[in-house]
Amino acid sequence: MLKIDGLEAEIEGKQILKGLNLEVKPGEIHAVMGPNGSGKSTLASVLAGREEYEVTGGSVDFLEKDLLDLAPEERAGEGVFLAFQYPVEIPGVSNINFIKTAVNEVRDYRGLPAMETKEFMAHLKEKQKLVKLSGKLANRSVNEGFSGGEKKRNEIFQMAMLEPKLGVLDETDSGLDIDALRIVASGVNELKSSKNAFVVITHYQRLLDYIVPDFVHVLYDGKIVKTGSKELALELEEKGYDWIIEEIEGKS
Amino acid sequence: MATITLTDKDRFLINQEGQDFSHEAKTFIKIRELALKNLKGLDFPTRKLEDWKYTNLREVSKTEFRPQTAVNIIEEKIKAHKIPNLDAYVLVFVNGFFAPKFSNTVEEKDGDFIVTNLNKAKKDFIKLVEPHLGFQTRAKDQFFVNLNSAFSQDGGFIYVKSKAVLDKPVHIINLVDGDLVASYPRNLIVAEKSAKAKVVVSYETIDSNSALSNVINEVVVAEGANVILDKIQNENSNTYHIGADFATQQKDSIFTINTIPANAKLIRNNLNIVINGTNSVANLYGAICLNGDIHVDNQTFVDHAKPNCESNELYKTVVNDSATSIFNGKIYVNQIAQKTNAFQSNANILLSDDARANSKPQLEIYADDVKCSHGCTIGQFDNEALFYLKSRGIREEVAQKVLLDAFIGEVLDNIEEEPVRKYVDQLIADNFNSKN
Repeated sequence: MLKIDGLEAEIEGKQILKGLNLEVKPGEIHAVMGPNGSGKSTLASVLAGREEYEVTGGSVDFLEKDLLDLAPEERAGEGVFLAFQYPVEIPGVSNINFIKTAVNEVRDYRGLPAMETKEFMAHLKEKQKLVKLSGKLANRSVNEGFSGGEKKRNEIFQMAMLEPKLGVLDETDSGLDIDALRIVASGVNELKSSKNAFVVITHYQRLLDYIVPDFVHVLYDGKIVKTGSKELALELEEKGYDWIIEEIEGKS
Repeated sequence: MATITLTDKDRFLINQEGQDFSHEAKTFIKIRELALKNLKGLDFPTRKLEDWKYTNLREVSKTEFRPQTAVNIIEEKIKAHKIPNLDAYVLVFVNGFFAPKFSNTVEEKDGDFIVTNLNKAKKDFIKLVEPHLGFQTRAKDQFFVNLNSAFSQDGGFIYVKSKAVLDKPVHIINLVDGDLVASYPRNLIVAEKSAKAKVVVSYETIDSNSALSNVINEVVVAEGANVILDKIQNENSNTYHIGADFATQQKDSIFTINTIPANAKLIRNNLNIVINGTNSVANLYGAICLNGDIHVDNQTFVDHAKPNCESNELYKTVVNDSATSIFNGKIYVNQIAQKTNAFQSNANILLSDDARANSKPQLEIYADDVKCSHGCTIGQFDNEALFYLKSRGIREEVAQKVLLDAFIGEVLDNIEEEPVRKYVDQLIADNFNSKN
């Protein structure tokens, strides 16, 4: 589904990703962990198409298309969804209008007719339930005045509405209490199928208690330096990253 | 041999003559004579004047505009300028002259309100017109105000009796048809004690290669009255539009004006509000979305003359292409106007490198127990918000439109009549697209 090969990217002349490889197949959940500054959020940003990041090498294939060649909105249309680490507040745009516009834009991209209001509302209610998002938030401005937990649940809600093939969760667990974490995780688990995949970027292991990964990757200095099973995450939680860094730097 | 050198102004004024006002009552002729006298000592404002710093009228002074009646006005042409689905009393003026065939007047002497043309009212309702007409426009130093006072052909007259409510909005449609047309429409709106009125005034073009519209709206808001005025300026790109709005409020009154300058070659608005009674509220809203090379200059003045009053001013501007927007807002708080709450804000978004916005918010406060704030911003749409929308599959142009609606919507939400709101939404949406 997703094949990242030798990806190099920089921001403001500073190279962050230095030859990153990652392959994700349908039905899989991949966790990407790593110390601060290793390039986790850069990976998410590059996949979503943030303009500030310049790709200087490597390739990203998504369902046989060159993802890097597509505009952010086209990537969403193709089925890539990024759950933001810091969801953006948009005053004056109601959450419901926003999501309706997004759903119909994506449907249009996929050659589907716009959703009828009745069908849309039914869909909306079902997905709100999934992440226990209050119906009251629908008429509020996007993310404005939302609590940290509400913002993150709103991200998962949008993901549920847009039905992506690949969900990239950028530190969705940051700033969440344990209840919100559970809700977010169960939302992801409900959405999980044999046809879609998730890349879960996280600093801590605790999210992975609820979203169980098939693979855990350690990102360090712009590269994936170690890949293992979910047990690797536990080991990182216990021992930190230093032993891996030592291992790498010892080798070189 | 003596030679007389005519200035541009002299030539311009000569072109405006030839209208016969001799049938008018003396009291109204006096207004015209006084204005003509003032004009003798005045000239076209130049950019040397602080309030005209950004707006150049040289071309107006050199163009042979003159009053002209329109010919062959047919229903079809008027229809296009009505607001769809708006249930209103409609008054139509073409080139400043009343078009009774396309208007519906209400003139019962013992009715709750009068909706007619000003010339008719000057004859039939002289006692209602006389105390108010020209009362607020006596400033000797305003060239264009005096020009309208001297040469105004006609306009709408709306009078709402004490405690009465105008059951439907009045829509005054001002149209221009013909080349080198000078129109001087002038509306007088009087809401007596505790009366209520909603008025929409629109300015549009049937067909013209060049025109000058010099317009005035005079609004009288008596004790406890509530007047809402929506002003839609949407003439063609060959038109110079120079307007002034005057409102005086007595105690416990509310006056709201929504200004929507959408199209013309140049638009200049001078808005003057005097809050002359306690516990009153003035609302001034401007929704401005510009493209092409239009030049729009909004000057507002709120005079807090009495204590315990409130003014809310919000002007929001989106400028595309090489268009220019100017905002110069002044709030004056008199020494006795304690407990004044005055808010003024002007926010501008520039969409292109050649777009310009000049903003000058001003407060002049002589009372010591007041709450006043003012501010202006000039910037672009929030890139983070744009990226967020795009990352959800929303195309760039749709995302921009979503942010536009959110930005301008805050102002447009003050337009109460749904059909008017829809009409204005469409004007703004059209202007949001680049003309280049």
